[in-house]
Amino acid sequence: MSSSSVTVQPAGRPGSAVAQRLAGLARSPSLRVIGRRLLSAIPVLWGVTLLSFLVMNALPGDAASAMLGINATPAELRAFSIQLHLNEPLWVRYGHWLGGVVTGNLGQSLASGHQSVASIIGQRLPVTLELVVYALVITLVVSIPLAVLCARWPRGIIDRLSMLFSMGSISIAPYVLALLLIIVFCVDSHVFPSIYSPTSTIVGNLRNYTLPSIILAVPLIGFYTRFLRADLLEQMQAEDYIVTARAKGVSEWRVLTRHALRNSFIGLLTVIGLNLATLIGVTVIIEQIFSLPGIGFELLNAISNRDVPVVEGIVLVFGIAVVLANLLTDLLYGVLDPRIRHVASRS
Amino acid sequence: MSLPAANILTTASVAPAAELAGPAAGRRWVRNLEIAIPATVLVLLLFFCFIWPMVYPVPKPVGGSLTTVNLPLWSKGHIFGTDIVGNDVMSRILYGGRVSFEVAAGVQAIGLAVGGLIGLVAAYRGGWTDAVLMRILDIFIAFPSLVLVLAIADSLGPSETHVIWALSAFSIPAFARVARAAALQLRDRPFVVAARLSGTRAWRIMFQHLVPNMLPQLLTFSMLGASLTIILEGALDFLGYGIPQPTASWGNMIASGESFISVYPRYVVVPSIFLLGTAIALNMLGDGLRARWDVR
Amino acid sequence: MAASATAADAGGQQAVQLAPAPLLEISDLRVTFRARGAQIYAVQGISYTVEPGQTLAIIGESGSGKTVSAQAVMGLLPGSARVSGSVKFKGEELVGRSQQDLRSHRGRSFAMVFQYPERSLNPTMRIGAQITEAIRTHVQIGKNEAHDRAVDLLKMVRLPAPARRFYEYPHQLSGGMRQRVVIAIALACGPQVLFADEATTALDVTTQAQIMDLLLELQQQTGTALVMISHDLGLAATYAEDVMVMYAGKIVERAPTKELFAGVRMPYTQALLDAIPRIELEPHVLLPVIGGRPPDLASIPQGCPFAPRCPGVQEDCRTDAPTLKQHEAGRWWACWHPLGKGTQQ
Repeated sequence: MSSSSVTVQPAGRPGSAVAQRLAGLARSPSLRVIGRRLLSAIPVLWGVTLLSFLVMNALPGDAASAMLGINATPAELRAFSIQLHLNEPLWVRYGHWLGGVVTGNLGQSLASGHQSVASIIGQRLPVTLELVVYALVITLVVSIPLAVLCARWPRGIIDRLSMLFSMGSISIAPYVLALLLIIVFCVDSHVFPSIYSPTSTIVGNLRNYTLPSIILAVPLIGFYTRFLRADLLEQMQAEDYIVTARAKGVSEWRVLTRHALRNSFIGLLTVIGLNLATLIGVTVIIEQIFSLPGIGFELLNAISNRDVPVVEGIVLVFGIAVVLANLLTDLLYGVLDPRIRHVASRS
Repeated sequence: MSLPAANILTTASVAPAAELAGPAAGRRWVRNLEIAIPATVLVLLLFFCFIWPMVYPVPKPVGGSLTTVNLPLWSKGHIFGTDIVGNDVMSRILYGGRVSFEVAAGVQAIGLAVGGLIGLVAAYRGGWTDAVLMRILDIFIAFPSLVLVLAIADSLGPSETHVIWALSAFSIPAFARVARAAALQLRDRPFVVAARLSGTRAWRIMFQHLVPNMLPQLLTFSMLGASLTIILEGALDFLGYGIPQPTASWGNMIASGESFISVYPRYVVVPSIFLLGTAIALNMLGDGLRARWDVR
Repeated sequence: MAASATAADAGGQQAVQLAPAPLLEISDLRVTFRARGAQIYAVQGISYTVEPGQTLAIIGESGSGKTVSAQAVMGLLPGSARVSGSVKFKGEELVGRSQQDLRSHRGRSFAMVFQYPERSLNPTMRIGAQITEAIRTHVQIGKNEAHDRAVDLLKMVRLPAPARRFYEYPHQLSGGMRQRVVIAIALACGPQVLFADEATTALDVTTQAQIMDLLLELQQQTGTALVMISHDLGLAATYAEDVMVMYAGKIVERAPTKELFAGVRMPYTQALLDAIPRIELEPHVLLPVIGGRPPDLASIPQGCPFAPRCPGVQEDCRTDAPTLKQHEAGRWWACWHPLGKGTQQ
């Protein structure tokens, strides 16, 4: 017989209960998983920073000429380069930068007059975050019910239309969709602004972000609906516990939502987490089209300006985001799936 | 990454389609259609983009004259009209299609060869090789490849070959992941174990046993990857980092059409339709092949 | 409870002979699947009854149609299945009814226990919740009362520490314990027929015996009819009152257990018996296995379906399919040349 997960506590003394709790926590599989993942994430992050440094500095074309323009004289270029420490060897610069990162100093932007990279990122990050969160909300609100409807009546009208739609939505290029929607919603009808305009009202804010978020959400909806639908159908057709539930007399809807859906969530979350890296790429394009002042747009500017510190700062942020997302999904996996939760307690 | 996550990536990236028990004869017919239709569309597109201009005197895609500016659709001699500098839109579509297909093929081929090899070796060797290779791969996956792509494209200068190399930064890690997952599944199958036990050399096992069994999965993945690549290539052109004007590409046609979107929406719409159609065809083909080859 | 023919009661008075009113009356049940351009004739016309409180064993190899027929009764077959014939529960016809109607019977009138306990329970749902769901699907009671009933059910199936187990997940239990939970779920609403589809096949021998004993005990307690579906004749011999042997979608023999094992009529049943390893057999002797394979269910054979493999096959076996007939009181078989009548050995 297997043991259970509950440790029977000795009656009485509350102090020992606390101590037992803490000891239990230290043995907790979740914490150990977090610790392990964090440890393995650090070399990845380091690798990301190294890669970005190499990319920006080892490629032909240098910051000085990019910023001073073609008409700069060699003397001006040289002076500027010295000013930016660009004449020092690669690894020295990298060392400096890395040291700065650890202490929280990401350097200063070369292009925008010594503004600290950290503050640039700080200004721009919320914009991108709002875009992404808004898009994810739209995605989940649409794709989950849609997938459930598809799985409830497979090959029915809703299913066929949804699959057509999702095929289209993952095939359409975001910039194409953006332009088409702009034609429809902005040019003549002015329902949404086609260019970001700063606003302090909630409605104004939503007006700014709705169209970009929808465009970001469309391929996601297509993707997640297909995935969820397939996962749900696989369960409904092949899993024994579904048959048991039906044998109990449970209605088909309940079987779908209370049994199959809850098991699919884990997979869905993992997919969302793993997709984050691609999401970042699309965000950049969308911000550019709508002139949203997010870090994606800033990245584009920085790259063309050879504004190395800014690029590296943003790359670091992206890298952290991806690593964090993967970490979170791994963790959520462990939390949501009770089988993994109890791994340590089985003897 | 935890193995379940890797499996989910494989599943998700190959957009699953659930199998249903149903009227049997009808389903087989539909299944064939799911492969036949996109395959036909793609063959037609390839034909028109690559072969047709060689046999039929298609107007030049560049060097149009101002006398033939902004001709509308269905004009005489210009089926899709002309653009703002007088170039024939139809031939720009055809030549732009060449670019898209060449880039897609190149990127997928590189990804398959390099990424596939990395994944295969990592899965087969296991242990330290696997751990190190996977960490490096994780770095490339975590790194916003778009930055890499943009940086490469920006510094090397815009050209088709550079675009291919730049976009490979996406496809190599993706293929490596899929190849590794596929090889891992196969590695412990009895026939592979038997080959190992009978002393077959490693490279032989990898290329004679593992690769042929991985190919269906990898080929399906490359279909979907090709669709993504075409869209990405378009994005690069759209952002200005890709194929430079006046050479035609669907992406830069859309980009240059953006400014005139309220007046001449067709400059955006026509290349967009081709882009969408090609991507859908590739996705459908990938889906159909996967459904056909999926040994479930 | 329906009345059944009873023996003399304790007072020694003349017992009232009432006509038996079967719980389940299955008549010419046929199930056909449509798959990949072919028809699969999984069940080819079977008829039997289940009396209240009876213990019936349906024995057959894989593909004999034993599971499919039970699932047809419960209405659990997928949409690709075509069911015809008649299944009456307490006189109410079930074939052709809507899923909604059938659902009111599932769990309440009849229930099923399945083969793989580790797969039959939802891994992300607590055990207690899975039991209370069974209860509250048919009975309108509050959460607390459902909780208490569930714990009582767990006690009934002899699960140790039931109150605590209520909050646990399936993976925290062993195979035998999980099967007990599945039984608890099945019996939650007091069904009158319990189908046990290979319920002990996936368990080790000791646990098997425990679960079978539990099932029989519960049967005594609740008066439920038990239909055991299995390939194990030994199981039938030990626990069942009546045995029904199925082959290739048809019933080939039916008899009360003692009479069946006293004198087998069907060559197929005899072959099954012979194939069971026995202590009395000489060591290093080949077990007599049944040669050949079960027939392909995509076509209905012309003669007896067992003819290709029957050791005593004769010409008429191949041309005419024997029908199931009650040749002796309470004994049915479908064979032109049955054993034990002096013509075969």
